[in-house]
Amino acid sequence: MQSVDTERSATETDKIVATGVHRVFGGTGERVHALGPVDLAISDGEFVCIVGPSGCGKSTFLRMVAGLIGPSDGTIEFTTHRSGQSTSMVFQEYSIFPWKRVIDNARYGLDVAGVSKKEGNRRAMEYLGKLGLAERAKSWPDTLSGGMKQRVAIARALAVEPEILLMDEPFAALDAQMRQILQEELLELWQADRRTVLFITHSLDEAILLGDRVLVMSSRPGRIIADIRVPFERPRSNTIRTSHEFTELTSELWELLRVEVDDESAGTV
Amino acid sequence: MSITDQDSAVRTERRTPSAADRDPARFLRRRRISDVVLAVGFPVVMLTLWQIAATSGWIDRRFYPAPTDIVGEIRRTFQDNPKGNWWVDIGISVQRMLWGYGWGVLFGLFFGVTMGMFRTLRVTLEPTLNALYTVPKLALIGIFLIVLGFDDKPLIAVIGVTVFFFVWMQSMVAVMTVPDQLQEAARSFESSRFQLFRHVIFPSALPQIFLGLRVSAGVAVLTLIGVEFVYSPGLRGIGYRINNARTVLDPLQAYVGLLVAATLGVVFVTVIKVVGRLLTPWSSNDRTVL
Repeated sequence: MQSVDTERSATETDKIVATGVHRVFGGTGERVHALGPVDLAISDGEFVCIVGPSGCGKSTFLRMVAGLIGPSDGTIEFTTHRSGQSTSMVFQEYSIFPWKRVIDNARYGLDVAGVSKKEGNRRAMEYLGKLGLAERAKSWPDTLSGGMKQRVAIARALAVEPEILLMDEPFAALDAQMRQILQEELLELWQADRRTVLFITHSLDEAILLGDRVLVMSSRPGRIIADIRVPFERPRSNTIRTSHEFTELTSELWELLRVEVDDESAGTV
Repeated sequence: MSITDQDSAVRTERRTPSAADRDPARFLRRRRISDVVLAVGFPVVMLTLWQIAATSGWIDRRFYPAPTDIVGEIRRTFQDNPKGNWWVDIGISVQRMLWGYGWGVLFGLFFGVTMGMFRTLRVTLEPTLNALYTVPKLALIGIFLIVLGFDDKPLIAVIGVTVFFFVWMQSMVAVMTVPDQLQEAARSFESSRFQLFRHVIFPSALPQIFLGLRVSAGVAVLTLIGVEFVYSPGLRGIGYRINNARTVLDPLQAYVGLLVAATLGVVFVTVIKVVGRLLTPWSSNDRTVL
C-alpha cells in the first residue's frame, strides 16, 4: 500500500489535477458538506477506480470533472491535446434516449459536436460493432435488455473518442453475469487504446480487476484516504480474480472501507 | 379438545393449474371475445330497451324518439335535405373549431414549452395564468364580441382561449418533468441549450404534450357547441342547430345534432391520437382501445 498522494505537484503527464476541491449541497436549508478536501492527480492513460461508502461524494466528484456541477471550492484542471470533447461519461442507468434508435443514440455526441451524419454513422457503427451491437443498430432502446442498453451508453461515450472517459457505476444495475461480461469487454477495449479512465464503483473486485490505481474515499465529507496501485500486469482478464494476491488486496481494501462504512452507519455523517 | 389436538390434524394442500394456467392462449382468446361482447353488447342492449320503451309507449315518443326514429331523421336530414343543408353547418362549425384549436395549440405550446424551460418566465407568468385559468371562458364571449366584432372571431377566440389553457398546462408540466438523468447525459456531451431542447426535452415531452392535445381536442368540440348555443353568426353551426331544435320544439333534430357533435369529437380526437402515435413511435405506454 502506498501513502496518500496529496502533496504531489502537477507534472507533464498529469491529465487531471484536483486541488482542494470541496462540494457543499443545500441552499437555505440544511447544508451538507458532501466532499472535500480532495487533492488528486491522475496521469495520462491511467485507469483509476474510486471506491467508497454510499453518499461519500464519489459520483459528485465525477460530475464535477464532467462539468455537470461546479465545485464549491478549489479547482479541477485537465490538460487535453486535441480539440473536441475532452470528457464523456457513462451513467449508471436510464441514460440513453428512448426516442432515438440505437445508432442515433450512439451518434449523439458526434451530432452535437457537428460531425457529419455520414462520418458520425461510421464511427457509431464502429463502436457498436466493438460492443457486439451492430445487429441492433436500428432497434428502439425499449426493446433491448439492460446489459445492451448499457453497451449503447458505452458506445455513445466512446464514439466521441474522449481523452478522458468518466464512468459512474456503469455496471451496478446489471446482473452478476452481465457485469462480468461487460467488465471483460471494457478491459479489452481499454487495453487497445489506453485512454484516461475515471471509474466509480461499489465493487472492490471490479476496482481491482479494472484499475491501475484504486482510490478509497472516506464517508461524508468524502476525502481520499488511500491510493493503492494495483500490481497486476496488463493485459488482464477475469482469471486474476482467483489469484492469492487478488484476494489479499480485496481484503486489504475492505479493511479500509469497513471503518468508513461502520462510521456512517453509526450516524457520524 | 385442546388446541394442539386441532393443529396435529394432517392436512394436505395442493396447488394445481387452473384452466387459465393450463392453456393461457385459449384463456386470452376467450377473454378477448368476452371483452368485445361486453363492450358492444352494453350499448346494443340499452338501445334495444330504449327502442322497446318508445314503441310500446312506456315513454313519450314525442320527447324521446325511438332510435329508429332518429336514424330515419338522420337519413332525411342528410339525404333528402328538407331541413336546410346540414353539411354547410358542419363545414362552418369545423372551420371555427379548427381555427380556435389551432390558435390555442400554437400559443399553448409556445407558453408551455418556454415556461417549462425558463424558470424566470415561469415565475413571472404562472400565478397570473393560474388565476385566469379558472375564469369561465364562455363568459368572455361578451367582451370578445365588443372587441373583435360580430363575426366568427369572438367564437374562435373563446375556443382558442379554452384550448390554450389545457395545452399550456400539460406541455409546461411535460417539459418540467423531463428526467434529470437524460438531461445530464445530454449535457455531458456539451450540448447547447438548443440541442438539449431539440434532442432531449422536446422528444421526451412529446407523448405528454400529445395527451394535452388530445384532451383539448375534445374540449374544443365542447366549447364550439357551447358557444354556438349563445352566439352563432349567420345562424349556422351544429350548436345553433341543436339550440334551434329546442326553440322550434323539434327534438329529433336536437338528437341528430348531438350525434353529429359526438361523431365530430370522436373523429377529431382520434385524428390527433393517430398523429401523436406516428410522431412518437418509441412510446408504447398508450394502449387504450380508441
